[in-house]
Amino acid sequence: MSNHIVRFNLQQRIEHFVTMTTFALLCLTGLPQKFYTTGWAHVLVSAFGGVDATRWIHRITGLVLAASTVVHFTNGILVMLSKKQYFSMVPTKKDFEDAILQLRYYLGMTEQHPMYDRYTYKEKFEYWGLVVGNVIMVLTGFILFFPVTAASIIPGQFIPAAKVAHSNEGLMAFFVITIWHIFNAHLNPDVFPFDASIFTGKVSRERYLHEHPLELARLEGGLPPDALGQHAAPAHGTRRNEVG
Amino acid sequence: MVRILWALVLALAAGPAMAGIPAEQEDCLGCHSDPSETFDLPSGEKLSLGIDQDVFAKSVHGEALRCTECHTDKTSDHATGELKFKSRREVTRAYYEQCKGCHFANYTKTLDGVHFAVMAKGNDKAALCVDCHGAHDISRPGQPRTRISRMCQSCHAREAEVYAKSVHGRAAESSGDVPVCTDCHRAHDTTDPRDGALAMRTPEICGRCHTDEKLMSRYGLSTKVVDTYLADFHGMASSLSHGKKKGPGVRLAAVCTDCHGVHDIQKADDPASGVMSANLQKTCGKCHEGASESFPKAWLSHYEPTPQKAPIVWGVMLFYKLMIPFMVGGLVLQIALHLWRVVVNR
Repeated sequence: MSNHIVRFNLQQRIEHFVTMTTFALLCLTGLPQKFYTTGWAHVLVSAFGGVDATRWIHRITGLVLAASTVVHFTNGILVMLSKKQYFSMVPTKKDFEDAILQLRYYLGMTEQHPMYDRYTYKEKFEYWGLVVGNVIMVLTGFILFFPVTAASIIPGQFIPAAKVAHSNEGLMAFFVITIWHIFNAHLNPDVFPFDASIFTGKVSRERYLHEHPLELARLEGGLPPDALGQHAAPAHGTRRNEVG
Repeated sequence: MVRILWALVLALAAGPAMAGIPAEQEDCLGCHSDPSETFDLPSGEKLSLGIDQDVFAKSVHGEALRCTECHTDKTSDHATGELKFKSRREVTRAYYEQCKGCHFANYTKTLDGVHFAVMAKGNDKAALCVDCHGAHDISRPGQPRTRISRMCQSCHAREAEVYAKSVHGRAAESSGDVPVCTDCHRAHDTTDPRDGALAMRTPEICGRCHTDEKLMSRYGLSTKVVDTYLADFHGMASSLSHGKKKGPGVRLAAVCTDCHGVHDIQKADDPASGVMSANLQKTCGKCHEGASESFPKAWLSHYEPTPQKAPIVWGVMLFYKLMIPFMVGGLVLQIALHLWRVVVNR
């Protein structure tokens, strides 16, 4: 029995790296455009070579992120059609039960900690938040990129509305990442200072038993001792590779 | 010590002058009082040698300056029948330098101005102090205010003609509320408008009057025009374009004048105005090639998004105004609970 579980395959690690770098660059080139009256915005914009250069970097980076999203979903759909795997990212009833149990646990109302499968409700929330956010950002981004074409298809008022949506959705994504993701991947006492699994792909078996007991049991062909309680493993618990 | 001596000398010299005009005291007018007396310059021009005493007496310097304070090289025996100047322009250029002796601050400003810049490049016609202020007939600047625009007109006739027909120009004769040339272009450090630097300052320049509640209420005009401009694409782009210069392939973000016009600004409901709704598609099309009929609706016409004026924009704004605090608050709360439980467990 290996000491490590491979949690993320190479493709997933590359996808995360692309998302991480493009997201950072999009924030660095996008937020100064939202907060253009501040001093730091002017410093950043001139560091990128002026407002035009900043915008072109923003657009090209946005296209890269959009393309990586398309690749991600194309790949997911193909895998799903091949029926070899199931989407471990699909929210289930158990996720809502887990969320309630987790909050009850935090509040000290129960000593029972949720038993998580491959992805916790927190990870699924962030994943789908990113997906929905990406769709909004790409759609509104294209409207802002090609306003003349957009106005010939949809009413003109959608263009300033797209600007409001793009800048606020971007700000919200920035907050979610800086608050939620940085906490869960860095500041959470369980992983502090740095959860490197998304870069190395590996997680220790010990940690896996603690964090994803249901998946570990499935991987190792058994069920953890108390997994048959109210939080039984999902019905689609066949052995599979990861998607999503 | 030297200064005190100087003051004494000046006081002595100026003392009797209080009675009349100091120019009389030097006997210059003994020769230079005949307006018909001229000197033939090598350029073929005639240089008038006569000074109208009444005109000079009424000028701002009439009771303050003696002739030699500007004409420093003139002594009592200068009537040699010879002049070192070849043209009238040379005379002007030679004597304009004298102004800085007293008016140093404004002279220094002109060094940053476009007139000095083109003069340095060899343009002989570029305006000097006396071209705008006059020489022996200098009066207080801006009295009356319309005189300023007429002064500029003597060289910039085309612009002045367009301005005179504009909403500002038409009112300039009767109202002190509207801008004359120097209100936008400045007087001494006149900005070169050609590189776009002046245009990029128009939100501030136009805003000086158009955000003034008292002034705008007289005409029923909105004072939100600058804020609503700055809140939109163009305002953001222009705010981030400081120091950017217009040039080949470099287009600056649209500012006030790109839509409203420069010297030809009209009321927004004037059929000749570029921002009149019927003309907007064409105005937007100047930069946004192929702008469709619905494209101008992308601009909220200086209105703040309200349920009436722009329901979609207003709705999206409201959604995020609620969503962002809800989202951030929820996540922070869960993190706080998580950490609290970690502490309790220990």
